[in-house]
Amino acid sequence: MLYFDHSASTPIHPAVLNLMQELELNHFGNPSSVHRFGQKSRLDIEIARKQMADAIGCLPYEIIFTGGGTEANNLVLWNLIHQQKRHVITSAIEHPSVLSVLKRLKEFGVTSTIIPVDRTCRVNPEDIQNAITENTGLISIMFANNEVGTVQPVKHIGEIAEKNGIPFHSDAVQILGKFPINILDQNINMMSFSAHKFYGPKGTGVLYLKKGTELKSLVIGGGQERNLRAGTENPSCIAGLGFASELANKNIEKRKTHLEKLAEQFKQEMADVYPEIIYNGHPEYSLPGVICATFPAVTSNILVIKLDLHGIAVSSGSACSSGTVNPSHVLRAMNISNDNNIRTLRISFGRDNTEEDVHLLTEKISEILKQNRNKR
Amino acid sequence: MAEKVIVGMSGGVDSSVAALLLKENGYEIECLFMKNWDDDETCPAAADYKDALQVCNTLNLPLHSVNFSAQYQKLVFADFLKSYRSGKTPNPDVLCNKEIKFKVFLEYALELGANHIVTGHYARIEERESVFRLLKGKDITKDQSYFLYLLGQKELARSLFPLGNMKKKEVRHLARKAKLITHKKKDSTGICFIGERNFTQFLKKYLPPKPGDILTIEGNNVGTHEGLMYYTIGQRKGIGIGGGFGDKEAPWYVVKKNHKKNHLIIAQGHDHPSLYSTTLKAVNLHWIHSDSSNLPKTVTAKIRYRQDDQICKLNTEKQNSVIVHFEKPQFAVTPGQSIVFYDGEECLGGGVIDGKIT
Repeated sequence: MLYFDHSASTPIHPAVLNLMQELELNHFGNPSSVHRFGQKSRLDIEIARKQMADAIGCLPYEIIFTGGGTEANNLVLWNLIHQQKRHVITSAIEHPSVLSVLKRLKEFGVTSTIIPVDRTCRVNPEDIQNAITENTGLISIMFANNEVGTVQPVKHIGEIAEKNGIPFHSDAVQILGKFPINILDQNINMMSFSAHKFYGPKGTGVLYLKKGTELKSLVIGGGQERNLRAGTENPSCIAGLGFASELANKNIEKRKTHLEKLAEQFKQEMADVYPEIIYNGHPEYSLPGVICATFPAVTSNILVIKLDLHGIAVSSGSACSSGTVNPSHVLRAMNISNDNNIRTLRISFGRDNTEEDVHLLTEKISEILKQNRNKR
Repeated sequence: MAEKVIVGMSGGVDSSVAALLLKENGYEIECLFMKNWDDDETCPAAADYKDALQVCNTLNLPLHSVNFSAQYQKLVFADFLKSYRSGKTPNPDVLCNKEIKFKVFLEYALELGANHIVTGHYARIEERESVFRLLKGKDITKDQSYFLYLLGQKELARSLFPLGNMKKKEVRHLARKAKLITHKKKDSTGICFIGERNFTQFLKKYLPPKPGDILTIEGNNVGTHEGLMYYTIGQRKGIGIGGGFGDKEAPWYVVKKNHKKNHLIIAQGHDHPSLYSTTLKAVNLHWIHSDSSNLPKTVTAKIRYRQDDQICKLNTEKQNSVIVHFEKPQFAVTPGQSIVFYDGEECLGGGVIDGKIT
């Protein structure tokens, strides 16, 4: 079995799993309890908070644990209904946990301007500057896109946001472990993360909330997470997230080189067997190891299925919970024709992939393309 | 090497058992889940996909999924709306079989290297002297040949219906025995993309109301309707004119739509003569394996699903239309619905009802 879909989810790091098993067995107290059972669990959470804070260069106080990236995005966006200024600037390539929420928020008088992207999937910061109105209460732009890997000019956008006194949120679930980040360098007020994108457990995420930025909770109850996310915490998952964030930043340069090398190898091998292949995204501002490629000869559905039958996992478009794939709204926003949209594959490499794995992948793809050609 | 087939998995009990039976017969099987309807708000297909996934896991079969919503919109739903807009009552499931399941899906399966597609339809395919015939399902209460009359030789040659010889009870029994999660799942009813939703409400989303007068067959104005497209010939409930209104206690029925004047014409009593006709015209004819000149003089027909076969004679009018004379008067001949012809247990083909003649 070969797995090349790390942008969808990553396998859990064995050391992270060990830690979680240990905690799940031994630290079962409620973190809010005063006795030593509770204290142990509380400690696990606070260690994780420090680890995550160190990983992105912020204060532990600024880390809010959530039930995942989607929840972190929702927490930020739903706060608009408590605000006077209810206009949002966002981009056409955001995740549904941003775009679909904004659609729903229309019912609550929240309006939005959706900024287009260019052919490389980048937004132009000038467009954001021009979209600002006196009613703009939030700018929310993804740090790096999940389907194409393009990294956005976040720093520039942050400067615009600060100059205009508008809070800036960035969905950053794709970047940890792939893109060194120091929050102090950016004018970002809020950032969403998700543990299972960096070899941590699913169902756990983080909202970075800059000191001084105020939010109200979506989930109300016992006041956990500074009254921003009620409900008994999940210490083992949170500890897993913390440890995974620490591991993600260790040897990040080496990891990046590894992923870049695999991507380069893929491109070289494909150039020999299938020169018609088209690569989408930005040549420079891009996450390492994420390839978004169009195969004009075959629909990505068929390619995904045939690779899956050989135990090779890649993905196409944006998957829906019915297991089916719709033409990608991201590729559409990049002005890629519908015809090419449904012929586009995402291959995202991970830490365990080897050169040999990549070779097997290109070999299998070329075999499928050859079969396809013979049939015509 | 075993023959490769692709089973169309809906997440229901019938397609689950179809896969089970083929597996027992040694085919190389892959299953394909089809999503034909995109809904912004909810994703009802998600629940069916989860069932399909569990069935495939139990049977140890690979499952793929595919989204044909765009094709469905273009090839089926657009036609459905057009037909309703003109005041007819179309049958999208018939068109879905022709355009999606036995065309788009079939082509997709062939592209995946299959020789045949497999579905859980209650109907049989028989090859005699190189001619493929469509026969009714053995379980006559479940027979689905009515919905398949638009298939041709090419489609039948590439299809397998393993449930054709089975009773629904046996199918559920097999499903239970094989521990398939779908064994108790309710049969789907109504038009697939509407599901359990209120039909008129659904239609109103696409076709805005256009109120007009309700007249009795005698010409008395008795009320207002919301738009002719929301009513079906023979409809009793939902007209807004209760029984007891008029001379008798009997309920009122829709007998006609006057499109020019936007009038809905109703009559009282199930036996009212205006609800019955012995002759109708059908258009867009399709025959499964022979042309109309070779047809038997007397055949039987169904003018709606779940109707007993009715004896009738066919007079070919032009190449593509036919006048059908019934032995007995037929209740509520409905323009837009399909009329399907049979010779005994063989489905010969059919057409779309244009309207009644007498």
